[in-house]
Amino acid sequence: MGLPLGRAPDEALLSGLATGDPEIAVAFVRRFQRTVFGVAIAVVGDAQLAEDIAQQTFERAWRHAQVYDSRRGSVRTWLTAIAHHLAIDAVRARRANPVAPEDLDALLDIVTQTPEQHAVAAETSAGVRAAVATLPREQARALVMAGIYGLTAQQIADMEHVPLGTAKTRIRTAMHKLRRTLGAEESLR
Amino acid sequence: MSEMTCEQLRELDAELALGILPARERARAVAHLDQCPGCREHIEQLALVGDDLLGLLPGTEPPVGFESRVTALLQPPAPDPAPAPAPAPAARRWLLRPRLLRPRVAAAAAALAVACGFGGWAAGTAIQASAPPPSPTARANAQLLQAALVTGGREVGRVFAHPGARGWVYMSVDLEKPMPEISCVLDHKDGTMTRLGTFSLQDGYGYWVATTDVNATTLAGARLLTPEGSVLASAHFA
Ligand SMILES: [Zn+2]
Repeated sequence: MGLPLGRAPDEALLSGLATGDPEIAVAFVRRFQRTVFGVAIAVVGDAQLAEDIAQQTFERAWRHAQVYDSRRGSVRTWLTAIAHHLAIDAVRARRANPVAPEDLDALLDIVTQTPEQHAVAAETSAGVRAAVATLPREQARALVMAGIYGLTAQQIADMEHVPLGTAKTRIRTAMHKLRRTLGAEESLR
Repeated sequence: MSEMTCEQLRELDAELALGILPARERARAVAHLDQCPGCREHIEQLALVGDDLLGLLPGTEPPVGFESRVTALLQPPAPDPAPAPAPAPAARRWLLRPRLLRPRVAAAAAALAVACGFGGWAAGTAIQASAPPPSPTARANAQLLQAALVTGGREVGRVFAHPGARGWVYMSVDLEKPMPEISCVLDHKDGTMTRLGTFSLQDGYGYWVATTDVNATTLAGARLLTPEGSVLASAHFA
Protein backbone atom coordinates (compact mmCIF):
# COMPACT_ATOMS: atom_id res chain seq x y z
CA MET A 1 0.00 0.00 0.00
CA GLY A 2 3.07 2.17 0.01
CA LEU A 3 3.55 4.48 -2.93
CA PRO A 4 7.11 4.87 -4.19
CA LEU A 5 8.19 8.51 -4.15
CA GLY A 6 8.76 8.19 -7.87
CA ARG A 7 5.00 7.94 -8.30
CA ALA A 8 3.91 10.71 -5.95
CA PRO A 9 1.98 13.59 -7.57
CA ASP A 10 4.15 16.46 -8.83
CA GLU A 11 2.60 18.88 -6.35
CA ALA A 12 3.25 16.50 -3.45
CA LEU A 13 6.92 16.27 -4.37
CA LEU A 14 7.20 20.04 -4.72
CA SER A 15 5.57 20.50 -1.33
CA GLY A 16 7.79 17.87 0.24
CA LEU A 17 10.88 19.55 -1.19
CA ALA A 18 10.45 22.36 1.31
CA THR A 19 10.93 19.93 4.19
CA GLY A 20 14.58 19.42 3.22
CA ASP A 21 14.13 15.67 2.96
CA PRO A 22 16.98 14.42 0.71
CA GLU A 23 14.85 11.56 -0.66
CA ILE A 24 12.25 14.02 -1.87
CA ALA A 25 14.94 16.18 -3.46
CA VAL A 26 16.29 13.17 -5.37
CA ALA A 27 12.83 12.16 -6.55
CA PHE A 28 12.03 15.72 -7.59
CA VAL A 29 15.29 16.30 -9.48
CA ARG A 30 15.09 12.89 -11.12
CA ARG A 31 11.59 13.56 -12.37
CA PHE A 32 12.24 16.98 -13.89
CA GLN A 33 15.94 17.16 -14.78
CA ARG A 34 15.51 16.13 -18.43
CA THR A 35 12.85 18.78 -18.97
CA VAL A 36 14.78 21.54 -17.22
CA PHE A 37 18.11 20.73 -18.85
CA GLY A 38 16.36 20.30 -22.23
CA VAL A 39 14.99 23.86 -22.08
CA ALA A 40 18.33 25.28 -20.99
CA ILE A 41 20.43 23.53 -23.64
CA ALA A 42 17.94 24.39 -26.41
CA VAL A 43 18.19 28.09 -25.60
CA VAL A 44 21.86 28.50 -24.71
CA GLY A 45 23.44 25.73 -26.80
CA ASP A 46 26.31 25.24 -24.37
CA ALA A 47 26.35 22.24 -22.02
CA GLN A 48 28.27 23.90 -19.20
CA LEU A 49 26.10 27.02 -19.19
CA ALA A 50 22.98 24.89 -19.54
CA GLU A 51 23.99 22.89 -16.49
CA ASP A 52 24.45 26.08 -14.46
CA ILE A 53 21.02 27.25 -15.54
CA ALA A 54 19.37 23.91 -14.78
CA GLN A 55 20.97 23.95 -11.33
CA GLN A 56 19.75 27.50 -10.66
CA THR A 57 16.28 26.47 -11.81
CA PHE A 58 16.05 23.75 -9.17
CA GLU A 59 17.40 26.08 -6.50
CA ARG A 60 14.77 28.65 -7.37
CA ALA A 61 11.99 26.09 -7.34
CA TRP A 62 13.16 24.89 -3.94
CA ARG A 63 13.30 28.41 -2.49
CA HIS A 64 10.07 29.58 -4.03
CA ALA A 65 7.91 26.47 -3.90
CA GLN A 66 5.31 28.46 -1.97
CA VAL A 67 4.65 30.82 -4.88
CA TYR A 68 3.90 27.99 -7.28
CA ASP A 69 0.29 28.49 -8.36
CA SER A 70 -1.40 25.41 -9.77
CA ARG A 71 -3.95 27.53 -11.60
CA ARG A 72 -1.19 28.88 -13.80
CA GLY A 73 -0.17 25.46 -15.01
CA SER A 74 1.52 22.25 -14.00
CA VAL A 75 4.68 22.00 -11.93
CA ARG A 76 6.49 21.04 -15.16
CA THR A 77 5.24 24.19 -16.92
CA TRP A 78 6.34 26.28 -13.96
CA LEU A 79 9.85 24.79 -13.95
CA THR A 80 10.05 25.22 -17.71
CA ALA A 81 9.19 28.91 -17.36
CA ILE A 82 11.85 29.41 -14.66
CA ALA A 83 14.51 27.64 -16.74
CA HIS A 84 13.53 29.65 -19.81
CA HIS A 85 13.78 33.01 -18.01
CA LEU A 86 17.19 32.14 -16.63
CA ALA A 87 18.41 30.89 -20.01
CA ILE A 88 17.23 34.02 -21.84
CA ASP A 89 18.91 36.23 -19.26
CA ALA A 90 22.16 34.29 -19.61
CA VAL A 91 22.10 34.53 -23.39
CA ARG A 92 21.31 38.25 -23.36
CA ALA A 93 24.21 38.86 -21.02
CA ARG A 94 26.74 36.85 -22.99
CA ARG A 95 26.13 36.88 -26.68
CA ALA A 96 26.01 39.61 -29.31
CA ASN A 97 24.51 37.22 -31.83
CA PRO A 98 21.90 35.32 -29.86
CA VAL A 99 21.25 32.42 -32.21
CA ALA A 100 23.16 30.64 -34.93
CA PRO A 101 21.07 30.11 -38.09
CA GLU A 102 21.80 26.37 -38.14
CA ASP A 103 20.62 26.06 -34.52
CA LEU A 104 17.39 27.81 -35.42
CA ASP A 105 16.76 25.45 -38.33
CA ALA A 106 17.45 22.42 -36.18
CA LEU A 107 15.12 23.64 -33.45
CA LEU A 108 12.37 24.45 -35.96
CA ASP A 109 12.54 20.88 -37.20
CA ILE A 110 12.29 19.60 -33.64
CA VAL A 111 9.27 21.67 -32.63
CA THR A 112 7.35 20.88 -35.82
CA GLN A 113 7.97 17.13 -35.88
CA THR A 114 4.72 15.23 -36.19
CA PRO A 115 3.42 13.50 -33.05
CA GLU A 116 4.23 10.04 -34.49
CA GLN A 117 7.90 10.96 -34.24
CA HIS A 118 7.41 11.65 -30.56
CA ALA A 119 6.56 8.43 -28.80
CA VAL A 120 5.78 10.10 -25.50
CA ALA A 121 4.25 13.35 -26.76
CA ALA A 122 1.42 14.46 -24.53
CA GLU A 123 -1.92 15.16 -26.15
CA THR A 124 -1.80 18.91 -25.63
CA SER A 125 1.72 19.27 -26.97
CA ALA A 126 0.69 17.27 -30.05
CA GLY A 127 -1.93 19.95 -30.77
CA VAL A 128 0.57 22.78 -30.37
CA ARG A 129 3.13 20.97 -32.48
CA ALA A 130 0.63 20.47 -35.29
CA ALA A 131 -0.40 24.13 -35.07
CA VAL A 132 3.20 25.33 -35.32
CA ALA A 133 3.83 22.95 -38.22
CA THR A 134 1.00 24.49 -40.26
CA LEU A 135 2.34 28.05 -39.90
CA PRO A 136 4.08 29.59 -42.91
CA ARG A 137 7.82 29.01 -42.47
CA GLU A 138 8.66 32.68 -41.86
CA GLN A 139 6.02 32.93 -39.14
CA ALA A 140 7.22 29.74 -37.47
CA ARG A 141 10.78 31.10 -37.54
CA ALA A 142 9.69 34.39 -35.98
CA LEU A 143 7.68 32.53 -33.34
CA VAL A 144 10.60 30.30 -32.34
CA MET A 145 13.05 33.20 -32.32
CA ALA A 146 10.73 35.25 -30.11
CA GLY A 147 9.14 32.58 -27.92
CA ILE A 148 12.08 30.23 -27.42
CA TYR A 149 15.23 32.27 -28.02
CA GLY A 150 13.70 35.43 -26.53
CA LEU A 151 14.79 37.68 -29.40
CA THR A 152 13.17 41.08 -29.72
CA ALA A 153 11.28 42.05 -32.86
CA GLN A 154 14.22 44.27 -33.83
CA GLN A 155 16.69 41.38 -33.51
CA ILE A 156 14.41 39.19 -35.60
CA ALA A 157 14.11 41.92 -38.24
CA ASP A 158 17.91 42.18 -38.38
CA MET A 159 18.41 38.44 -38.67
CA GLU A 160 15.75 37.98 -41.32
CA HIS A 161 16.63 41.18 -43.21
CA VAL A 162 13.05 42.45 -43.08
CA PRO A 163 11.56 45.72 -41.77
CA LEU A 164 10.74 45.91 -38.04
CA GLY A 165 7.00 46.10 -38.80
CA THR A 166 7.18 42.86 -40.76
CA ALA A 167 8.91 41.06 -37.90
CA LYS A 168 6.30 42.31 -35.43
CA THR A 169 3.45 41.20 -37.68
CA ARG A 170 4.93 37.72 -38.11
CA ILE A 171 5.22 37.20 -34.35
CA ARG A 172 1.75 38.51 -33.70
CA THR A 173 0.05 36.61 -36.52
CA ALA A 174 1.70 33.36 -35.45
CA MET A 175 0.73 33.80 -31.79
CA HIS A 176 -2.87 34.60 -32.61
CA LYS A 177 -3.18 31.62 -34.96
CA LEU A 178 -1.87 29.31 -32.25
CA ARG A 179 -4.18 30.79 -29.70
CA ARG A 180 -7.21 30.32 -31.94
CA THR A 181 -6.26 26.73 -32.73
CA LEU A 182 -5.64 25.83 -29.11
CA GLY A 183 -8.68 27.76 -27.89
CA ALA A 184 -10.88 25.78 -30.29
CA GLU A 185 -9.44 22.52 -28.96
CA GLU A 186 -10.04 23.65 -25.41
CA SER A 187 -13.74 24.24 -26.05
CA LEU A 188 -14.11 20.78 -27.60
CA ARG A 189 -12.99 19.06 -24.40
CA MET B 1 5.34 58.76 -20.42
CA SER B 2 1.99 58.88 -22.20
CA GLU B 3 -0.87 56.55 -21.45
CA MET B 4 -1.25 53.52 -23.67
CA THR B 5 -4.70 52.76 -25.08
CA CYS B 6 -6.22 49.28 -25.32
CA GLU B 7 -5.74 49.43 -29.07
CA GLN B 8 -2.05 50.29 -28.76
CA LEU B 9 -1.57 47.53 -26.22
CA ARG B 10 -3.18 44.92 -28.45
CA GLU B 11 -0.71 45.81 -31.19
CA LEU B 12 2.09 44.72 -28.84
CA ASP B 13 0.23 41.83 -27.20
CA ALA B 14 2.33 38.94 -28.54
CA GLU B 15 5.64 40.61 -27.74
CA LEU B 16 4.41 41.51 -24.27
CA ALA B 17 3.15 37.98 -23.57
CA LEU B 18 6.45 36.49 -24.73
CA GLY B 19 8.48 38.91 -22.62
CA ILE B 20 10.45 40.38 -25.54
CA LEU B 21 9.30 44.01 -25.47
CA PRO B 22 12.08 46.55 -24.92
CA ALA B 23 12.05 47.91 -21.35
CA ARG B 24 10.48 51.28 -22.13
CA GLU B 25 7.51 49.91 -24.07
CA ARG B 26 7.15 47.17 -21.55
CA ALA B 27 6.82 49.65 -18.68
CA ARG B 28 4.04 51.52 -20.51
CA ALA B 29 2.26 48.27 -21.33
CA VAL B 30 2.44 47.02 -17.76
CA ALA B 31 1.08 50.35 -16.51
CA HIS B 32 -1.91 49.82 -18.79
CA LEU B 33 -2.43 46.23 -17.60
CA ASP B 34 -2.50 47.44 -14.02
CA GLN B 35 -5.75 49.23 -14.70
CA CYS B 36 -7.30 47.16 -17.48
CA PRO B 37 -8.61 43.69 -16.54
CA GLY B 38 -9.68 42.98 -20.11
CA CYS B 39 -6.20 43.40 -21.54
CA ARG B 40 -4.72 41.52 -18.57
CA GLU B 41 -6.89 38.50 -19.32
CA HIS B 42 -5.98 38.73 -23.00
CA ILE B 43 -2.25 38.77 -22.24
CA GLU B 44 -2.57 35.86 -19.81
CA GLN B 45 -4.20 33.81 -22.56
CA LEU B 46 -1.39 34.59 -24.96
CA ALA B 47 1.19 33.82 -22.29
CA LEU B 48 -0.29 30.32 -22.04
CA VAL B 49 0.45 29.90 -25.75
CA GLY B 50 4.05 30.86 -24.98
CA ASP B 51 4.14 28.20 -22.24
CA ASP B 52 2.77 25.63 -24.70
CA LEU B 53 5.49 26.50 -27.17
CA LEU B 54 8.19 25.86 -24.55
CA GLY B 55 6.50 22.54 -23.86
CA LEU B 56 7.59 21.42 -27.34
CA LEU B 57 11.26 21.49 -26.43
CA PRO B 58 12.59 17.95 -26.11
CA GLY B 59 13.91 16.64 -22.81
CA THR B 60 17.66 16.16 -22.73
CA GLU B 61 19.71 14.02 -20.34
CA PRO B 62 21.94 16.32 -18.26
CA PRO B 63 25.65 15.51 -17.76
CA VAL B 64 26.65 12.68 -15.44
CA GLY B 65 26.58 13.69 -11.78
CA PHE B 66 24.03 16.47 -12.27
CA GLU B 67 21.41 14.79 -10.11
CA SER B 68 23.66 14.38 -7.09
CA ARG B 69 25.19 17.85 -7.42
CA VAL B 70 21.77 19.49 -7.51
CA THR B 71 20.30 17.32 -4.80
CA ALA B 72 23.15 18.32 -2.49
CA LEU B 73 22.24 21.97 -3.03
CA LEU B 74 18.61 21.50 -2.07
CA GLN B 75 19.23 21.03 1.61
CA PRO B 76 18.49 23.39 4.46
CA PRO B 77 21.64 25.32 5.46
CA ALA B 78 21.60 24.49 9.18
CA PRO B 79 22.20 20.87 10.21
CA ASP B 80 19.70 19.25 12.52
CA PRO B 81 20.40 19.41 16.24
CA ALA B 82 20.68 16.09 18.05
CA PRO B 83 17.61 13.97 17.37
CA ALA B 84 14.84 14.66 19.87
CA PRO B 85 12.60 11.86 21.12
CA ALA B 86 9.61 13.61 19.61
CA PRO B 87 9.32 16.86 17.68
CA ALA B 88 8.03 19.79 19.69
CA PRO B 89 4.52 20.64 18.56
CA ALA B 90 5.51 24.29 18.11
CA ALA B 91 8.07 23.21 15.54
CA ARG B 92 5.37 22.08 13.18
CA ARG B 93 4.72 24.56 10.51
CA TRP B 94 2.62 24.89 7.43
CA LEU B 95 4.81 25.10 4.44
CA LEU B 96 2.48 26.46 1.85
CA ARG B 97 1.45 30.02 2.45
CA PRO B 98 -1.73 31.52 1.03
CA ARG B 99 -1.37 31.88 -2.69
CA LEU B 100 -1.52 35.15 -4.48
CA LEU B 101 -4.96 35.49 -5.88
CA ARG B 102 -4.53 36.23 -9.52
CA PRO B 103 -7.19 36.92 -12.09
CA ARG B 104 -8.53 33.62 -13.31
CA VAL B 105 -6.49 32.23 -16.09
CA ALA B 106 -9.45 30.65 -17.78
CA ALA B 107 -13.16 30.93 -17.29
CA ALA B 108 -13.30 27.18 -17.80
CA ALA B 109 -11.23 26.66 -14.69
CA ALA B 110 -13.65 28.74 -12.66
CA ALA B 111 -16.61 26.78 -14.00
CA LEU B 112 -15.01 23.54 -12.94
CA ALA B 113 -14.27 25.01 -9.53
CA VAL B 114 -10.78 23.60 -9.60
CA ALA B 115 -9.17 26.92 -8.87
CA CYS B 116 -7.82 26.72 -5.37
CA GLY B 117 -8.04 29.65 -3.08
CA PHE B 118 -6.46 29.72 0.29
CA GLY B 119 -6.89 32.18 3.05
CA GLY B 120 -6.49 32.45 6.77
CA TRP B 121 -3.84 29.82 7.23
CA ALA B 122 -2.90 29.36 10.83
CA ALA B 123 -0.37 27.21 12.55
CA GLY B 124 -2.17 24.64 14.63
CA THR B 125 -1.59 23.98 18.27
CA ALA B 126 -1.18 20.42 19.34
CA ILE B 127 -4.04 19.04 21.35
CA GLN B 128 -2.20 15.78 22.01
CA ALA B 129 1.55 15.95 22.11
CA SER B 130 2.14 12.25 22.80
CA ALA B 131 3.11 11.40 19.25
CA PRO B 132 4.71 7.97 18.96
CA PRO B 133 8.52 7.96 18.94
CA PRO B 134 10.13 8.04 15.51
CA SER B 135 10.90 4.67 14.05
CA PRO B 136 14.34 4.48 12.43
CA THR B 137 13.29 1.63 10.18
CA ALA B 138 10.46 3.60 8.64
CA ARG B 139 13.00 6.19 7.53
CA ALA B 140 15.05 3.81 5.45
CA ASN B 141 12.00 2.79 3.52
CA ALA B 142 11.43 5.65 1.08
CA GLN B 143 7.78 5.01 0.55
CA LEU B 144 4.80 7.25 0.80
CA LEU B 145 1.76 6.04 2.64
CA GLN B 146 -1.42 7.03 0.88
CA ALA B 147 -5.12 6.83 1.56
CA ALA B 148 -8.34 8.20 0.13
CA LEU B 149 -10.19 10.92 2.05
CA VAL B 150 -13.78 9.79 2.09
CA THR B 151 -17.07 11.32 3.09
CA GLY B 152 -20.37 9.43 2.79
CA GLY B 153 -18.68 6.69 0.75
CA ARG B 154 -17.39 9.24 -1.78
CA GLU B 155 -13.72 10.04 -2.36
CA VAL B 156 -13.11 13.75 -1.86
CA GLY B 157 -9.34 13.81 -1.71
CA ARG B 158 -6.10 11.98 -0.95
CA VAL B 159 -3.60 11.99 1.87
CA PHE B 160 0.08 11.15 1.49
CA ALA B 161 2.32 10.67 4.48
CA HIS B 162 6.08 10.43 4.30
CA PRO B 163 7.47 8.44 7.23
CA GLY B 164 10.17 9.85 9.43
CA ALA B 165 10.85 11.95 12.50
CA ARG B 166 10.97 14.87 10.09
CA GLY B 167 8.26 13.46 7.89
CA TRP B 168 5.44 15.29 6.23
CA VAL B 169 1.81 14.94 5.35
CA TYR B 170 0.41 16.18 2.07
CA MET B 171 -3.28 16.36 1.38
CA SER B 172 -5.51 17.49 -1.44
CA VAL B 173 -9.23 17.80 -0.97
CA ASP B 174 -12.27 19.01 -2.88
CA LEU B 175 -15.24 19.58 -0.60
CA GLU B 176 -17.09 21.56 -3.29
CA LYS B 177 -18.04 24.33 -0.89
CA PRO B 178 -16.11 27.10 0.83
CA MET B 179 -15.00 26.17 4.34
CA PRO B 180 -13.88 29.03 6.59
CA GLU B 181 -12.18 26.76 9.09
CA ILE B 182 -11.13 23.14 8.92
CA SER B 183 -8.79 21.37 11.25
CA CYS B 184 -6.79 18.30 10.40
CA VAL B 185 -5.82 15.56 12.82
CA LEU B 186 -3.76 12.40 12.43
CA ASP B 187 -5.03 9.30 14.23
CA HIS B 188 -2.60 6.78 15.65
CA LYS B 189 -3.25 3.09 16.28
CA ASP B 190 -2.86 3.51 20.04
CA GLY B 191 -5.87 5.86 20.04
CA THR B 192 -3.93 9.10 20.38
CA MET B 193 -4.16 11.84 17.84
CA THR B 194 -2.00 14.69 16.57
CA ARG B 195 -3.54 17.94 15.48
CA LEU B 196 -1.74 19.24 12.40
CA GLY B 197 -3.37 22.65 12.09
CA THR B 198 -6.29 24.62 10.76
CA PHE B 199 -6.89 26.15 7.35
CA SER B 200 -9.69 27.44 5.19
CA LEU B 201 -10.84 26.54 1.70
CA GLN B 202 -12.19 29.50 -0.22
CA ASP B 203 -13.39 27.65 -3.27
CA GLY B 204 -13.75 24.30 -1.56
CA TYR B 205 -10.59 22.91 -3.11
CA GLY B 206 -7.05 23.03 -1.88
CA TYR B 207 -3.92 21.14 -1.01
CA TRP B 208 -1.38 21.67 1.69
CA VAL B 209 1.49 20.08 3.47
CA ALA B 210 2.64 20.04 7.07
CA THR B 211 5.80 18.67 8.63
CA THR B 212 5.26 16.27 11.47
CA ASP B 213 6.53 13.02 12.88
CA VAL B 214 5.11 10.19 10.80
CA ASN B 215 5.48 6.62 12.02
CA ALA B 216 4.42 4.18 9.32
CA THR B 217 3.74 1.36 11.77
CA THR B 218 1.47 3.32 14.10
CA LEU B 219 -0.26 5.81 11.79
CA ALA B 220 -3.91 4.81 11.43
CA GLY B 221 -5.59 7.62 9.55
CA ALA B 222 -6.44 11.27 9.17
CA ARG B 223 -9.59 13.32 9.67
CA LEU B 224 -10.80 16.74 8.63
CA LEU B 225 -13.01 18.37 11.26
CA THR B 226 -15.25 21.41 11.58
CA PRO B 227 -14.57 23.82 14.47
CA GLU B 228 -17.39 22.03 16.33
CA GLY B 229 -15.60 18.72 15.92
CA SER B 230 -17.84 16.98 13.39
CA VAL B 231 -16.06 14.93 10.76
CA LEU B 232 -15.95 16.35 7.23
CA ALA B 233 -13.89 13.55 5.75
CA SER B 234 -11.69 10.74 6.97
CA ALA B 235 -8.92 8.52 5.64
CA HIS B 236 -7.65 5.15 6.82
CA PHE B 237 -4.18 3.91 6.03
CA ALA B 238 -4.44 0.17 5.40
ZN1 LIG C 1 -6.86 47.63 -22.11
